[in-house]
Parts: sequence; C-alpha cells; structure tokens
Amino acid sequence: MSVSFEELSFRYKNRGSYALKDINAKWVESSSIAIMGHEGAGKSTLCYSINGIVPHFFKGEYSGRTIVFGTEVKKSSVQEMAKKVGLVFQDFESQIFSTNVELEVAFGLENLCLPKEEMGRRVDFYLAFVGLKELKKRDTATLSGGQKQRLAIASVLAMEQPVIVMDEPLSDLDPVGKREILEIREKLKDEKRLLIIVENDPENVLQMDEIWIMKEGRFFASGRARDIIKDVPLLESAGIMVPKHFIFFKGLGFRDPPLTFEDSIKLLREKCLLNGNRRFFELNIPSHFCKDGIIEFRDVHFSYPGSDEEVLKGINLVIREGDFVAIVGSNGSGKTTLAKHANGLLKPTKGAVLVKGKDTRSYKRHELARTVGYVFQNPDHQICSRTVFDEVSFGLRRLGIEKKYIEESVEEALFVTGLSGYEHLSPFLLSKGERQRVACASILALKPQVLILDEPTTGLDFVHQVKMMEMLKKLNERGHTIIIITHSIWVAETYAKRSIVMRDGRIEKEGPTREVFFDEETLLSCSVYPSTLTRIANFLKTKSMEPEEMIEELKNEGLLVPGKRDPNS
Amino acid sequence: MKVSLYQEKETPIHKLDPRTKIISSVFLFVCALIFNHPLYLLALFSPLLSILLLFRSYPLIFRLKYVLILLFFFSLILWPFFVKGENILFWIASYPIYEESLYYGMAMGIRLVTFVVIGLIYVSTTKNEETMYGLIALGFPYPFSFAIGTALRLVPSFVDAAVTIMEAQFSRGLELETKNPFKILKILSVLAVPMFVTAIRNTNMLGLSLEARGFSPSARRTFYLDLKMRPKDLITIFSVLSILLFCLYLRVFLGKGVVIPGRI
Repeated sequence: MSVSFEELSFRYKNRGSYALKDINAKWVESSSIAIMGHEGAGKSTLCYSINGIVPHFFKGEYSGRTIVFGTEVKKSSVQEMAKKVGLVFQDFESQIFSTNVELEVAFGLENLCLPKEEMGRRVDFYLAFVGLKELKKRDTATLSGGQKQRLAIASVLAMEQPVIVMDEPLSDLDPVGKREILEIREKLKDEKRLLIIVENDPENVLQMDEIWIMKEGRFFASGRARDIIKDVPLLESAGIMVPKHFIFFKGLGFRDPPLTFEDSIKLLREKCLLNGNRRFFELNIPSHFCKDGIIEFRDVHFSYPGSDEEVLKGINLVIREGDFVAIVGSNGSGKTTLAKHANGLLKPTKGAVLVKGKDTRSYKRHELARTVGYVFQNPDHQICSRTVFDEVSFGLRRLGIEKKYIEESVEEALFVTGLSGYEHLSPFLLSKGERQRVACASILALKPQVLILDEPTTGLDFVHQVKMMEMLKKLNERGHTIIIITHSIWVAETYAKRSIVMRDGRIEKEGPTREVFFDEETLLSCSVYPSTLTRIANFLKTKSMEPEEMIEELKNEGLLVPGKRDPNS
Repeated sequence: MKVSLYQEKETPIHKLDPRTKIISSVFLFVCALIFNHPLYLLALFSPLLSILLLFRSYPLIFRLKYVLILLFFFSLILWPFFVKGENILFWIASYPIYEESLYYGMAMGIRLVTFVVIGLIYVSTTKNEETMYGLIALGFPYPFSFAIGTALRLVPSFVDAAVTIMEAQFSRGLELETKNPFKILKILSVLAVPMFVTAIRNTNMLGLSLEARGFSPSARRTFYLDLKMRPKDLITIFSVLSILLFCLYLRVFLGKGVVIPGRI
C-alpha cells in the first residue's frame, strides 16, 4: 500500500472545528487520485498530512495514522518524508526559492545528494516536460503566474519521489497547459508512482482512476472517476461544478451522459436525428457593441524597464461601454500587462491608451481610479484596514468624499457583493472568497465605470466562483463595463459578451464570445481549450453555448428529434 | 517585472568564478578605504565605473541615480561640519569650513559611490546561488552561506510584492504624488500592513517549501553549479591584489592620497 490513512483526525491549534475528521483510505501505487471538495473541506490539510507538514510544521490536535510506504508520517521528519513524497503547494509563488529557473529545479536534487550529471538530465527533462525548456536561464521573478506554476511543478516532479501530491496545481495554467500537466499521470503510472491531485474542475479529472470527495473534513464519497463524475446530485451536494454538457444531455433525456466530446458526438449520431447540412449561425450583434468606446488602445507597445523584450506588440482595441469582456490566452501572453494599461498602472512605451478619449499619460492616478477600477488577483495585496467598512471606504476617504456619501456608497457596494452585515468584522479573518469580495467592494465603492478583475475565480470553489460571476453579471446589467482576465474557460464562455484571445503580446482574435469560441483552431494555437459543451455547440453550429438554449434552438428548428437515427451516420 | 539587479549576460566578469569576484570585491573595498584624497579615489572610481558602463549595465546606474547623487552630496555637505582641517575657507554661521574638510567630504562621497559601484558590478554579474556556492567554497559554513543567499534572494521578492501592493493601492485612489512628509508617512503606513502580512505569509511558506523539498542546513548535499578556478581567475585575483598592494605602498610608505592625516 503506498498511502494509507487510519482514523486520521486533525484540528489546528486554536481552531474550534476539525480540519480532518476520521479519515480512512488506502491508495495503491500506479494509481491516480483526484480529491475534490468545497472551500475549507480539508483538502490542503490532507495533502500536508501526507508529507508530515501536519503535524510537524502546523501544530494541533492529531490522532490516527498516515502511513506512506511503510513509514508512519508522525514518526518521521518532513525532510525524511521529502524523499518519498513530493508536494506542489497551492501557493506556488512562495514555493519558488531560487533566482534562476534551472537552479530552482536543481535545489531539491541537491538536497537528495544526486550527482551533477543526473541533476542536469532531470533539469532538462522536466523543464521540457512543463514547457519551460526555452526559459532555463531566466530569472524566476520575470516569469508570469502560469510559468511560475509550471516551474513549481517541474521542481517537485524532478525529485522523482514515489508519491506526488499536487494541491490545485492547475489554477494559473492556460487550458492546454492543464492538459499537458495532467499527462504526467501516464508517466507516473508506468513508473509505479502514485499521483494525488486536488482539483475542482471535473473535466480535468476525467482520466484519473479514482475521485475522493471531501466535505467538512471528512471523505464524503469515493469511487471510479467516471462513476463519480456522472453522479450529478452528488457533485451538486458537495458544491462541485457539474460539466455543462451533462446538463445538455440530461435535458435531452439521456440518463447516462457521455464523458468526452468524441463520445458525445457518437451518441448524438446514434440516437438523434441530426441534419447534416447545418447552417452557419449568424450573430445578431447586441446593441451595446455599437456604443461608444470607453477605452481605446492605439498601436500599443510595451517593454518593462531594463528589458528589451516587448510584452505587448502593437495592440489595437476598443472596449465599449457596457461590454463584458474576457481576456484569455496562453501563460505569459501579456494579458495582465494589457489590463494594467487600461487603468494607467502601466504606460505604453509606444502608442497610446485613451480612457474616455484622453491619454492615460495625462491623467492623475486617482482620477483614473474613479473611472477604471482594478481588482488584483490576491486580495491580501490590497487589504490594510481593521474593519470591512474601513477597507471598503478606503478609496472614498482618500478622495475626501463627504461622510454621508461614503456611508451610502459602502452600503451599496457591500450589498452588491453580498457582504451586508460584515461592516464591523476584520477583513483578515474572512475566507479567501470573502476577502476577494471585500477587495472587489472596495473598488466598487468608487463607482468606476469600468471594472477590471485579474483571475476573479482563482482559489475559489465552484459555489463561490458562481457567486462572484453572478455579482459581476449584475454589475454589468447595472451599466458597469467589466473586463476579466481568466484561465477558467467556462467563466469566459458563460459570462463574457466579448472575448479577446492573446498570444505572445498580440491579440490573435477578438469579437463576440460565441464567434471567438467557434474558431477552435485559433483558440488551440493560443493554448485555449474550449469546454466539451462548446465543442458540441460548434459541431452542431448552434447560436448559443448554454445547454438549455441549445436544446431549445435545435428543437425549434426541428433539427433534433430524440429517438431517431441520424440518416447521415 | 524584473526587480533583481542580476543581468543575464556573457561578459568576462560573468565568466569568473564567484570566489574570484568575492575576493576581488573585498580587495577593492579595502583599496577605497586606503585613501581620503578625492583625486586618488577618483582614480580608483573611474575605471570601475567604466567597467560598469562597458558591460552596458547603465540601466542599473540609472535606476540608482538618486541614491548615488544623494550619497555624494550628503557626504560633501555633512562631513565638513564634523572634520577639522587647517585652512579655513569660509564660515557658515559659527562653523568654520576648512579647505581640507571640504576635500575630505568630497572624497567620502566618491568612496561611498565607489562602494555602490563595486557592489553593483558584483550583483549584476553574480547570481545569489553563485555567491552562496562561492562562500561555501571559501570555507564559510553552509548554514551561514545559505542565510546570506536567502537574505539576498528575499530582497527582490519583497520589492516585487511592494510594487504589486502599491499598484493595488493606486487602483483605489491612493496618491503618492505629494511632497508633504506627514502625508507620505501616512501613505507608507497604509502600504505597511499588506506588506507585513505578505512578508510573514511568504516567509512561512518558504520555510514550509524548503522542508518539503528535503532541505536541512546540516545535512550533506551535492552542488549543481561547478566552481572551477581557471587561469583567468588567478590572473584577476593577482591583478587586484597588486592594485591593493600598490595603494597600500602609496599611503603607508609614500604618504600619498591623504588630505587629512590620521583618518581613514
């Protein structure tokens, strides 16, 4: 048995409830395990308990046993366990230690006392595996978020321990990058190693052997990945996202939905009447696309000071009032750099960015902050006040706004973000999702016309992701222009009216989201992999990418008649 | 965004063994301490500055221009009030300003800027890890060398976090463009809280991460980077040592390079 838990319970020091309670499981070598669950379910604590960080680093009340290849974790040091267990942390940025990419990978290998030749071989192999071969000599500080995540993964994989644990290792990766990393599964299986991944997107864990679902510190359900994923009520009760193509097939009356795109098409051909000569959809351009441009990029080029490398290469773009725009693309393609130009945090080295027709260079920072708000990915970079009220009113107080108006604006911002009643709480004691909403409210209180959010759903579980996105949708309906940078493709597909796809500092495609996601070839070339439902929608050439609307559309046009065979198949 | 001062280039100095660079830097630091005459220090400073410019590292100078200017002028202005010379040049209120102390202030300014330039040449051509390996090879204990390497590593990390935190605060109306020192202090206190939170969290995570990757300061380990003393290293050390000995000869035996005797 590779890893086994026997009645494992753990409660962090000074915490009321147990992070882990009565955990029992046995995982064998050569298998791949996915752990899913809501925020605070105990997933990270479980990962820490495998390599001894719990109970050696994080102290608390510990009972039961975790055994890894015959060694009881509690009786061994973390350094000793590191020879058996490799752990990729959720907070990968602080895991990176060295100043140079290859040295970062080599650090763990030096601790294992490997000879230089072997270290060189592994550094090259694993950097190539995660797609960082070309960046071997780069300073780690210059990498993008996704590149840093790849590096953190490579530095752990290179140690070649028999057990690899990854705590949400895909959060900042572009969709193609996610698939590439998940391919490690096959390699580890061949080498008789055990892979444990914490991941909340069902489409990413389809190929795993088993799924274990956690709820409030306990294992709630487990089984073969394919069986668990199809159990829609189970996923819903555990707060896990249900793949949208399941909803589509359930809507069509199929009890047993197919898992993959290929299976979906096969099933549609077998069981339904599909018109082989489907028309290309015509898009009715919504009226807001014809509104005035609020932000305009004119041939924008940008390089960071001290660097000759251009991060943006001739961007021409107009963001119109009332838009809901998603910026997607590969890691390091310039998405965040582009967004930072919109509120003047960065100024172009060539070209111009106009906000309401005026060059960002001629604005004062606080003037721009009132027009274009920017919510950073990490709320802890922003929070500095003792209470939620003080935090949300921070910007207004800085601008010298009247007290009565401040109170009204804060109340409204808290209401919209679902934080009414939190006014007197300390923001530092809230959950990550709540802190993210506080950060958003503090920008909203300034009532900016445009709101930019960098990865608004990263680090949130599905329930909180939906809450966050519904809030943004509501704001957009109230007239705010929303721009999000995201690697979460379902977010872009579901909420964005318009999408921008970037690669290597350039915009490769932009337009209405449906149109952009129809061009799978361009998306793939930019490391964006559409969801299974979108691929089905593209195959069926429907106007919508939403399950209910797709069914309606097909039925209205008489193109889908369940129970009859496709004459073209 | 790049905040570290290391420049990934292939200059002859980059190719030197880190031990050579550490020893040479220490020798050059001592050279700068030998004289207190501005012309002698200028003779030492000029070739060092040329090296920095020759290897196209002027962006570093540009980034630190205010620090360098401040260092020089503070020395020039303040030292004459504390050091006595022989020839009174003029009076400021009841303080006599001596010709020699003015030169001494100038020399101290050049010395400080020389220190910075030596440091810049070193950090722009040497990775943190090379420094750590170099110190170990020079016989310093591993925990000490690792602590130095970690401290150097954390500086750009904290600067990076500080830049992000400042950007986050600018995005909600914080304005740094004020000349009122009280307002600046208040603004800095706003930045301090998230910086403190981030620093504690990052340091904690770093400790976790080091242990999780099998790090133990006292355990045996191998090294990825090869340190090899080549003829060019020996020539460099010999050349810098010759300069040091020559400087000592000038000061000790010939009494040159001094405006105020008895002071470093």
